[in-house]
Amino acid sequence: MMRLPDNRRRWRSQSQELRPGELFQRRFLLLKALIVVLFGVLVLQLARMQIVDYASYHTRAENNRLRTIPVLPARGLVYDRNGEQLVSNQPIFSAAVVPADVPHDQLLPVVAGLAEITGIPPNEIASDIENAKKKDPFTPLVVKPNIDDQTAFQLRERQSSLPGVQVLVESVRRYADGALVSDVLGFVGRIDEEEYADLKDDGYLLNDRLGKAGVEYSYESVLRGIAGYRIAEVDAAGKEVNALQTVDPRPAGNLVLSIDADLQRHVTQYLQAAMGSSQNASAIVMDVRTGELLSLVSLPAYDNNILTEPIDEARLDALFRDPAKPMVNHAIAEVNPPGSTFKMVTGTAALQEGVATTSTTITSHGSISVQDEYTPGRVWVMRDWAVLGTMDFYHGLAMSSDVYFYYLSGGYYQNGETLFDGLGATRLARYARDYGLGTPTGIDLPGEAAGNVPDPSWKEETVGEVWTLGDTYNFGIGQGYLTVTPLQLARITAAIANGGDLLTPRVAKQVEDDQGNVLQAFQTKVARKLSVSADNLTIMREAMRQAVVYGPARTGASSQVTIGGKTGTAEFGEQLANGRYVYSHAWYTGFAPYDNPEIAVVVFLEKGVGATNGGPVAKQIFDYYFQRQHLAEGEQP
Amino acid sequence: VNNRIVRLRDFDPLLLLAALGLVTLGMLLIYSGSLSQSGKPAMSDFSHPVVRQAAFAIIGLGLALVFARVDYRVLGSLSYVLYVASLAALAAVLIIGEATHGSRRWIDVGGTPVQPSEIAKLVVVLTLAKYFSDHQETIGSLRVVLTSLVIAALPAALVFAQPDLGSALIFAAIWLGMVTVAGAQWKHLLGIIGAAVVAVPFAFIALVTDYQRERVALWLDPERDPLGAGFQAVQAQIGIGSGGLWGKGLTHGTQTQLDYLRTQTTDYVFSVLAEEIGFVGAVVLFLLVAILLWRALRVAELSRDLLGRLVATGLVIYVLLQTFINVAVNVGLMPVTGIPLPFVSQGGSSLITLFIGLGILQSILIRHRPFSFRDFYS
Repeated sequence: MMRLPDNRRRWRSQSQELRPGELFQRRFLLLKALIVVLFGVLVLQLARMQIVDYASYHTRAENNRLRTIPVLPARGLVYDRNGEQLVSNQPIFSAAVVPADVPHDQLLPVVAGLAEITGIPPNEIASDIENAKKKDPFTPLVVKPNIDDQTAFQLRERQSSLPGVQVLVESVRRYADGALVSDVLGFVGRIDEEEYADLKDDGYLLNDRLGKAGVEYSYESVLRGIAGYRIAEVDAAGKEVNALQTVDPRPAGNLVLSIDADLQRHVTQYLQAAMGSSQNASAIVMDVRTGELLSLVSLPAYDNNILTEPIDEARLDALFRDPAKPMVNHAIAEVNPPGSTFKMVTGTAALQEGVATTSTTITSHGSISVQDEYTPGRVWVMRDWAVLGTMDFYHGLAMSSDVYFYYLSGGYYQNGETLFDGLGATRLARYARDYGLGTPTGIDLPGEAAGNVPDPSWKEETVGEVWTLGDTYNFGIGQGYLTVTPLQLARITAAIANGGDLLTPRVAKQVEDDQGNVLQAFQTKVARKLSVSADNLTIMREAMRQAVVYGPARTGASSQVTIGGKTGTAEFGEQLANGRYVYSHAWYTGFAPYDNPEIAVVVFLEKGVGATNGGPVAKQIFDYYFQRQHLAEGEQP
Repeated sequence: VNNRIVRLRDFDPLLLLAALGLVTLGMLLIYSGSLSQSGKPAMSDFSHPVVRQAAFAIIGLGLALVFARVDYRVLGSLSYVLYVASLAALAAVLIIGEATHGSRRWIDVGGTPVQPSEIAKLVVVLTLAKYFSDHQETIGSLRVVLTSLVIAALPAALVFAQPDLGSALIFAAIWLGMVTVAGAQWKHLLGIIGAAVVAVPFAFIALVTDYQRERVALWLDPERDPLGAGFQAVQAQIGIGSGGLWGKGLTHGTQTQLDYLRTQTTDYVFSVLAEEIGFVGAVVLFLLVAILLWRALRVAELSRDLLGRLVATGLVIYVLLQTFINVAVNVGLMPVTGIPLPFVSQGGSSLITLFIGLGILQSILIRHRPFSFRDFYS
């Protein structure tokens, strides 16, 4: 029995039917070997993938499955100092597509569907998708912003057949008053390529928006808040299946401006009426105690809603081509010679340096003759605006005598003899810089200009000519190479009014949360204490008060309050035969109340005369401001 | 024809159990793979994929028992008729077939899609076995080898035209395996293989469609467009790799459940397995297939005649290659081609064909003993 299997096999192998058995067994072995080899290959490959490279596949599966979806807080609102809302957020629908969620073989139908619904050419959509795939395939690419409700509905209905397509609800800004505060508010626009490259590490997205001008720009981080995110499980079509983790965004702060919208409205109205043929004009009302700007008007203004989606291309184009440059904030970005308003600086510098006292008397015969330093025998005649006779310091400033300030700045010489020692250009320049000229004020708005404070070395370097006595005289009366912005002048007036604090101006008062709790109150910043003594500033204030009583600055005198003021008429353009110029800029600056100053005002008109055109605007501003104040006080017993 | 006794005791339950094990595993994976499909019917509905698969398995099991009763030699005699009918069916696919994923593979028979290429594989196994057993004295001649090549090449060409490169490869492999085991001379085999190797580049240019060329290109570098056409291959590999040793748990595969896979109940069912039950699950699958092949090889070894031996050999090669190509495509070792995983993938044609094959194996098995007096005494 034990040997039976062997017997049987021998019997079988001898059988006629199984004659090729030997061959069969050998080839059969090959088949068995093949089975082992093929399964071996599969097991090895699986072991490589599932055990050796497990970690990297695991990561890729998680990356597939999980998507971090940014959650942006609503952009912060902006209010004026009295709580008037200046901007609101308005939701719009946008047609968008997530490039990563468009399967390769579905690209054509998706593009065709989008093109049909939005009316954007299909090749444009396709190339945009290809571009976005390389940069950030997971952020929705906006194909067409601001689609109407019906288009949005149509798109939503067809979403299931157009994988990756989304209807985004985006938020755009609506500015309540348009042009009224646009120079302060600025506007918000879509992020461009350069900005995205800079900001993507700060959480900005490819389809993001950000402040491009004004406080929308300078307070971007406050108004944007901090984006939160949601980690969600998504399916292959990009559809969210469930949210696994949510980090709420930190709500944006609401910005309260120091701007008084009611005052701004009136200032705009007064300035507009006085503009005449001026290409531009600006007016500033500044709190001399804090540096807060209550009003900042630059004309012509622009409606910042034009720059907010949906963009009106025709109006935008007109805006860019307007020669008056409405988008330039003329109050902070435009520089012009300050004219006689600069006598505030020359005067206080002369007092401080002992060049003059209140009793220094100088006589104006209507002009002053200057020997040319380099051409013997040649005489320059520097004119005064009138024959003003003999004046002390108060009269000299109040009457805005040019001759008086030629003496203070340049001195007076006759036949090689010094009859009066002046400040000299270098000392005057030092005081000009001390008053903050030649550098930006540091206001919390973008695009501020620095202006220019000339001195001999500057002229040699820049103009390539030697500084002359005539240059010093011109400098002393705010003409020639000296340029300032209206804001810089307002800051000087404020510093004189408040006793010597050169303040950093600002338009933001505080940041609040939605309940009105103050999150951050901006503090008064004193850039420096002037090097002019308080006594000398008191003299200047008195001189400015007198200017309003009997000098050219009386056109700015208010019926409501005692003010101190100073006019400026800076000539420019072609010089006429009589030595005058074709055009002049009109300046007026003042402060009030005289006894206990609260506000400083600057008015600038591109064409005009300080007393004739600038003064009346300032008067209206002072009148309105204090009338309103008196009314408010009368109501509160 | 020699009379042989039919001994039902020789019926191999292990062969059937291995197959049923694979079918059960397949139904679990089909269940999991179809969870995320939108608009899927309820489990109580006959059109639910798992219910359909169970129904096909029951039909298949019944057919297996029927074919076990039928003498395989009778089938052998009928094979030429079946062969011509298969060619006709394959030709019909090209004319009236339903197109899916860029190729025509199905014909609609009373609302049920039928894939004739699956049945044709079994018929070619029978036909080749019959031809070789009829010509076993002259198997050493080139004429017989070439004739057998034509038998395999005709259906292969028709399948290739669908286009279904994977099934065409299966026909080639079945022929090569069977002609080798049948005892062809090495010089003939090597000559034909050599000619084929030389012809491949030309065939690739002349015959292979852009669709297939793109698939080969993507197989060589699926990452070159991971969001586009290489998506399927890359996502399947991510699923498999991220399954790790133990898998993410049945119905918990993120790639599977979040729709990153396509055809995840048919051609890519292995990805579901590897993702959800991991390397261990894959080894279990391979063990079940190995048991099946081992028992089928045993049938070939026990068979008393060349016909039975070659039928069993052909079926082993069919299941082996089908399994290998399917898994190799899933794990990125071969270009994408739609081959079902035997007994596991959703699909009636493949399942029923395989069960019929099992029945034929049992038919060979219970008829492998010669008439013996011992049987009377036992």
